[in-house]
Amino acid sequence: MNLACLRFMTRVTSDAARPDLGRDSVIPLDGSSRLPREALGNKGFGINFMRSLGLPVPPAFCLITDVCAMALAGDERVLDRVWPDVLEKLRWLESETSRTFGHGPRPLLLSVRSGAAQSMPGMLDTVLDLGIDDAVQQALGSHASPEFAADTRSRFRAMYQRIVLGDDSSADVPDDPLVQLRGAIEAVFASWNSPRAAAYRAHHGLDGTGGTAVVVQAMVFGNLHRDSGTGVLLSRNPATGADEPLGEWLPGAQGEDVVSGTFDCLPLDALRTEQPRVFNELMAAAKELERLGRDVLDIEFSVEEGRLWLLQTRVAKRSPQAAVRLALKFRACGLIDDAEALRRVTPEHVRALLSPSLQPETRLAATLLATGLPASPGVTSGTAYTDVDAALDAADEDQDVILVRISTSPDDVAGMLAARAIVTEVGGATSHAAVVSREIGRPAVVGCGAGVAAALDGRSITVDGGAGEVFDGVLELTAWSERDTPDLAALAAIARRVLGDVCETPLMAMLTAFRLAERSDVG
Amino acid sequence: MDELTLLQAVRLKGRVRHGDIAATLDDDEAAVDSAVKELTEAGLLMEGKTLRLSPDGRARLTELLADERRGLDAEAFAKAYDEFRGVNREFKSLISQWQLRHGEPNDHGDADYDAAVLGRLDGVHQAVLPILASATLQLPRLDAYPAKLSAALEKVHAGDTTWLTRPIIDSYHTVWFELHEELIGAAGLTREDEAKAGHTE
Repeated sequence: MNLACLRFMTRVTSDAARPDLGRDSVIPLDGSSRLPREALGNKGFGINFMRSLGLPVPPAFCLITDVCAMALAGDERVLDRVWPDVLEKLRWLESETSRTFGHGPRPLLLSVRSGAAQSMPGMLDTVLDLGIDDAVQQALGSHASPEFAADTRSRFRAMYQRIVLGDDSSADVPDDPLVQLRGAIEAVFASWNSPRAAAYRAHHGLDGTGGTAVVVQAMVFGNLHRDSGTGVLLSRNPATGADEPLGEWLPGAQGEDVVSGTFDCLPLDALRTEQPRVFNELMAAAKELERLGRDVLDIEFSVEEGRLWLLQTRVAKRSPQAAVRLALKFRACGLIDDAEALRRVTPEHVRALLSPSLQPETRLAATLLATGLPASPGVTSGTAYTDVDAALDAADEDQDVILVRISTSPDDVAGMLAARAIVTEVGGATSHAAVVSREIGRPAVVGCGAGVAAALDGRSITVDGGAGEVFDGVLELTAWSERDTPDLAALAAIARRVLGDVCETPLMAMLTAFRLAERSDVG
Repeated sequence: MDELTLLQAVRLKGRVRHGDIAATLDDDEAAVDSAVKELTEAGLLMEGKTLRLSPDGRARLTELLADERRGLDAEAFAKAYDEFRGVNREFKSLISQWQLRHGEPNDHGDADYDAAVLGRLDGVHQAVLPILASATLQLPRLDAYPAKLSAALEKVHAGDTTWLTRPIIDSYHTVWFELHEELIGAAGLTREDEAKAGHTE
């Protein structure tokens, strides 16, 4: 039985043995906390870490994971017991920001986020703009502008309705700011046991008793009129691994607008032009965080009236190509050792690199004609046909045919069989086109949107069914090789050095062996 | 062998070999052959390596289906179709879990996982039969479908899982999809409308 489990059992078996959840369960994330990731959650831990470096992160406090675990274990009064402490930390946020919660003249609004030690789907993610009622809206209106205040309030109400109340139309969004705060915290706790989160933990063999932390943070406003906005920065290119920061900037917008994909973002260069001082500060912060985190980061930031705020950082997702190149680069500058370099490249990365695929450089240089849902994996090229009979005739003449339809039905199956890939305008992951394409092993991109069939008809295109993308022209597929691709050869040399005498073993096998050895060391 | 049944069978298959059309109609090959010959001479079917509708045949079929639809109790049929949509969602989710696991193609290496997914097919089958029975009261032509679905289900139960999703053969998914196509048409809708409304997702 592990320690977390033992702790959990002591808590539920004896009322008297309950630890005193007082002062120590609501923690200011001001850089001074020494608590581990398991207590503060991922986000809380990250905020505390950034504040300890003196980086500009909006002030925040957090309810540690134990509070959630106790609530879920049946302790219904735990939130009552810690509430005085929540109020005390709220006063602290007010003094840090020179704003006040629940009234003007400078109202403090809050975001509430979940944060388990490990992120998982199905958890309540974020509620923004908490703490707004009629009086606060008035105050915001005279401080900024009535449009801004009304926009903020309607964003809050929509988000609270959707996320906290779960679109239950019989429930009203509460007016009292403190009731809003408490409702959001309770909703975060409850989301720990949502079916999706529970299924995720079961699938990954994670303990269900840990609970989640709750981060309560002062809002900053990217949607003020002047010198404001929000964006995402990747400290290096996560597709190629090239040493160039990449990102998106959306002036006059709030955090969720970038992620939602419903707005057209500008490239990061736009921020460099608009606000060079903020841009330089952001780049310096990214460099510092990358050096300390020893990895490429994905940083969400906002700018409020010319002042930079870092909202969230996490390790960036990357392509297999970038995984190899970045592991080698970070090792070359001495930030990670040989073993860590091997940890950062999985056997699956190598497997993907060794099979023919669209290299990131080819992909970046190509013209994207359409995007949709990745329905069936594989990359292939050919000429687009929208008419089944014409497609069949062309295939009979040994042409490489891509069938492009609004949607497919059984009478298209002959055409699908003759085609090398399938693209549709309408349809989801279980549409006829998706099901049949997977069954007959053809790459497919579905649900690309109205007008795609007419736009592609007759063109020479390349379909990437794994990424859900359709490119102009016939793109070349290439594979890496352990012998001829310098980056892969370099990684293999490191693996041989770490593992000892394994001269002719393929890299994939060495990486697997390395992982097994590490696991047995730990276990 | 009536004209509507044969034209609709050819339309649902798109292009079909002679032998396969008799099999899918579960009818005597000689009878089907002579009906095919007749409709080909009338210019409604085109013969080549495979059999398909001519443009005239397509127009004639549209006409026949519209006549058929006029005889329906639209409200009762709409109700049956609405119930089908619910079972259809469950069937679609089952099929995608059969094909994909955590977003990757299912390699069918985990017998327990596969058995759990296949186990749900019986529930789908039991749920669709009464819906089909009430739809058949309106549209007697649909009485061929329970037997075709059951035949595919039996083959899947006997261990030949290609009868779950393989196109071209009358697998469970092929028959289901053709049935769905019939219901969409008889309800006076089009597949494009249905796809846009999210009912074929």
